[in-house]
Amino acid sequence: MKALLKFRPLFANRAKGLLLALALSLVTLAAGVALLGTSGWFITAAALTTLGVSFNLFVPSSLVRGFSFIRILARYGEKLVGHDATLRLLADIRGWLFGRLFPRIPLADRSLRHGDLVSRLTADVDALDTAFLVAIGPIAAAVVVGTVMTAVLAWLIPGAALVYGLCFALAALAVPALLVVSSRRAGTEVVQRAAATRMAVLDGIDGHADLVAFGILGTTQADFADKAGALAAARGRLASYATAASGSVQLLSGLALVSVLWAGLLAFDAGAIDGPVMIGLLLAVLGSFEATGAIVRSVAKLSTAMAAAERLSEVAEAPIAIADPARPMALPEDGAIAFADVTFCYGGNAPVLRDIDLAIAPGQRLAITGPSGSGKSSLLKLLLRLADPQSGRVTLGGVPLTALRQADLHAHIALLSQDSPVFNDSIRNNLLIGRADADDVALWAALDAAQIGAFVRSLPRGLDTVLGEMGRTVSTGQSRRLCLARTLVSNAPVLLLDEPTNGLDRAAELAFFETLKTATAGRTVVLVTHAEIPEGTVDAVVELRNGAVVR
Amino acid sequence: MSTPAPLREKAQTRWMMGQRRQGGMALGLAVAAPLLGGALLLWQAWTLADILGRAVEMGEPMAALMPAILLVATLLVGRTLLGMIGERAGAAAGEAIKLHVRQALFGQLLSRSPRAGDQPASGAAASVVIDQTEALDGFFARYFPAMIQATILPLAFGAVILPLDWLAGLLFLVTAPLIPLFMALAGWGAQIATERQATALSRLSGRFADRLRGMLTLKLFGRADAETAGIVAASDELRRRTLKVLRIAFLSSAVLEFFAALGVAGIALYVGLTFIEFLHLRSTPLTLQAGLFLLLMAPEIYNPLRLLAAHYHDRAAAKAAIAEIEKQLGALPEAIVPLADAKAPSHTGALAVRIDGLTLRTPDRSRTILSDVALTLEPGQHLAIVGPSGIGKTTLLEAIGRLRAHEGEIGLDGLALQDWPEAELRGRVAVLGQKPRIFHGSIAQNIGLGRPGASRAEIARAAELAHVAAFADALPDGLDTLLGEDGVGLSGGQVQRVALARIFLRDAGLILLDEPTAHLDGALEGDVMDTLISYAAGRTLIIATHSMAAAGRMDRAYRIAAQSLVEMPLPHRRDRKGSAA
Repeated sequence: MKALLKFRPLFANRAKGLLLALALSLVTLAAGVALLGTSGWFITAAALTTLGVSFNLFVPSSLVRGFSFIRILARYGEKLVGHDATLRLLADIRGWLFGRLFPRIPLADRSLRHGDLVSRLTADVDALDTAFLVAIGPIAAAVVVGTVMTAVLAWLIPGAALVYGLCFALAALAVPALLVVSSRRAGTEVVQRAAATRMAVLDGIDGHADLVAFGILGTTQADFADKAGALAAARGRLASYATAASGSVQLLSGLALVSVLWAGLLAFDAGAIDGPVMIGLLLAVLGSFEATGAIVRSVAKLSTAMAAAERLSEVAEAPIAIADPARPMALPEDGAIAFADVTFCYGGNAPVLRDIDLAIAPGQRLAITGPSGSGKSSLLKLLLRLADPQSGRVTLGGVPLTALRQADLHAHIALLSQDSPVFNDSIRNNLLIGRADADDVALWAALDAAQIGAFVRSLPRGLDTVLGEMGRTVSTGQSRRLCLARTLVSNAPVLLLDEPTNGLDRAAELAFFETLKTATAGRTVVLVTHAEIPEGTVDAVVELRNGAVVR
Repeated sequence: MSTPAPLREKAQTRWMMGQRRQGGMALGLAVAAPLLGGALLLWQAWTLADILGRAVEMGEPMAALMPAILLVATLLVGRTLLGMIGERAGAAAGEAIKLHVRQALFGQLLSRSPRAGDQPASGAAASVVIDQTEALDGFFARYFPAMIQATILPLAFGAVILPLDWLAGLLFLVTAPLIPLFMALAGWGAQIATERQATALSRLSGRFADRLRGMLTLKLFGRADAETAGIVAASDELRRRTLKVLRIAFLSSAVLEFFAALGVAGIALYVGLTFIEFLHLRSTPLTLQAGLFLLLMAPEIYNPLRLLAAHYHDRAAAKAAIAEIEKQLGALPEAIVPLADAKAPSHTGALAVRIDGLTLRTPDRSRTILSDVALTLEPGQHLAIVGPSGIGKTTLLEAIGRLRAHEGEIGLDGLALQDWPEAELRGRVAVLGQKPRIFHGSIAQNIGLGRPGASRAEIARAAELAHVAAFADALPDGLDTLLGEDGVGLSGGQVQRVALARIFLRDAGLILLDEPTAHLDGALEGDVMDTLISYAAGRTLIIATHSMAAAGRMDRAYRIAAQSLVEMPLPHRRDRKGSAA
């Protein structure tokens, strides 16, 4: 519940629409109760009257018609207003979450699996989104209807008010609270197991060729069946709780009805109330149970929403590992990069970089070589401030990176990482990520420099060719080169290229090194590679071994 | 795909209704319990009206009414129990059906060729198996029982009321069936729009997945704000679309509300006017008990329909989901395809490879990759295939590993590839792809995939051979370190070594390796090649590689050029430091 309350500001932004929907749902309920009550009173009074045709027909009959039409219109309005507000809220929450997530990238927590994250962003946001409309709204409406009915009963059949009020309060408040508490674990379990099942599918499809090749499809299938079965079992448990709760609500409604009947008849016997009013009230009481009918379904949604809120805020409130300084300094004119006595390790493990001293002059082309795991990629990470060193400083133009805005730094330094993705979008949009205002001339120049211009020209739709999910429509080498082109198209004066020729054959690799010079003219280039670099490609070579500079 | 839409839709509906069988007894209970509850409701309304009529009209004392009050209480309890049984059984049926469908879908996906052109991307597949299938829940757990209730109960109620008061009975009998008709008219538009919305939702979810995967890249290129705005814009677009649907969809509930309110108001006025003798449509006078009974039943007649309307979107969602499943997968699965692990092969030893007239095309058959090539490899020979990236080395390797379709002949030990029993083939051929998948689990579990049942010592030995131990030992949990999805936390070279370790667990006669050293530097490449070659002694080995150093260690080398295979002189074995420049 606490986690859910954290999202109050987001809900408050859409308060007008949400409250209007709530008010309309109250009008709908009230009109229904009034319709039944008036009808019961009317026919009983008509049955008992001795006035015949001179009985005042006009008031009850117009009330009955009026309540009907109010109910029809209020119902339609409630649905439309409520859904509009919720959907606006949905866009708000999605944008909010994305905005919260970006500063927290790269996520420190390794357990944030991709499949799980996707499920969070869609399912959890949806669950949170409907929390008001399908969970809080009906419960609030039930409380209001129950309070008003109890007050009316206290006035007309005082003997029934206490039991009715108690039953209604239990049904609208205690049962939901109990259900929330008891189904909490089952709800969390459902979400976790759904994520595990999703992960099994992602693994099964992305690793399909491996699974076939190793001949372990049977094991994979059995493992999936276990996971899906566990998910079904958890959902079943959740359903059991919900069933018990809806049974309790129905029993409480029954108890309320019988007690009003009982007290009403006693009052009637005692002459404290006349027949038409007593019967009208009894029918109104029956009508008021419409408000409790939706409660259990609401509670189930509320539990889901609370679990979702908890998991969402866990991501959204994860500490920002790398924060911008309060008063950032301007990006220095002089782009000299220096590592001074830098030591770095990942979370208490053995250091991956030790006492690194390194200077890179503006416009210099530097290659960093060394065995895999020697710390080459970590060096680039520090340069981009994706992590901060435990000791020592990294400076740009003499200014420590920690004194700069990350956005400025990232605009200054562009990275081609080993796992740069191709987005499920057109080639043009993929390149424009590097520089939003690049024209076609610049795009083609970058594609040519990355040795893939000819391929893109051969495609029927050229730059407008849409690449599939994970770049599945192009080969590994081709997607690598598209990513390289994206990096080249950026305006950044410093380019970090982590194994840019991976996936290229030697001839293409040599051609790439050939064009590197012209493609990056005037820019600083840090090239991490273990390919053989032709003479004259770079100005200097630094070799890393086991986290230390050896050459 | 050329099937006309209405026919396809009919087939989809038939498929969905066919899944009912998986619901079994539970679904039967979910349908029967509310029907019985409806009968009790009639009894309860009659008894309640009876109590009120006798008290108010006849002036009977409280004591005389006691048994009837007790009966009402008992009926209330009975209806509660029936309601609970129905609800829980519905949920059980829904779960059973979804479990079956999920297994059938997953089995269907796995039983295809991994490189089939129509295999959906993993994100779409997960969405189909998890999310779209989840949409079937509401249909079976709620909509289906509600549909039966809505078909039977209003008519049954109307039939009971007809002899009591012909006009009220007629009113119920006529209006009740009209409602579904109106709702269908209103819902028809909603159905089309709902489908459109489902497509939008799935595309939106795809966008999320895709952008999430590349979030770091987007951040580094300063796209955080633009992408956040893009997500909001896409969501807002979804809202506008959805609202268009809902404006129509809610009309159907308004129609229902109209009839329900009209029913209550109409009965109240009719009964009231009859009592004051304004209307004379009955031959016998109406008692208060009968009048109250009619009024009590008036909202109940429409309640099953209201329930159906509340779950109407469950049906629309399920239908849209099934259309989406069929679109993504091409066909709806009938039963769970049983899949088996490869058994230990009956023979061991190196395999001979004979390729003749082999032609390979892209999965969509739009492009020819290799045309009419031939290759013969003696048992135990080691072969390198080189060529520029994208030229078809991976395709050739995958074809030999029977991971994709081919035309022409590929024979292993004289037996055509397609005639090899799957289990035997997998037992004797080991494949390491260019982009091996790291599964969610520990390093040891990932290596253990090479041979299910491998002992811990064997896994540790394989890790040693593949130089996994070199980096795993530095990790706090060693080989038990959990890996994120697809090897998050490992470098490219480390992923490759974990995947390579799987190979060392196998006793294969033919080993196919795609770029096994792509991410390794010279020194480590040499070490890995050393262990590989000593392991591959007495086994046939084919590697696709860019690395001339790796190719130089083989017995023979072929180059792919202009859609054919050309034998080439073996590259010189270079000094391991690689100072060719």
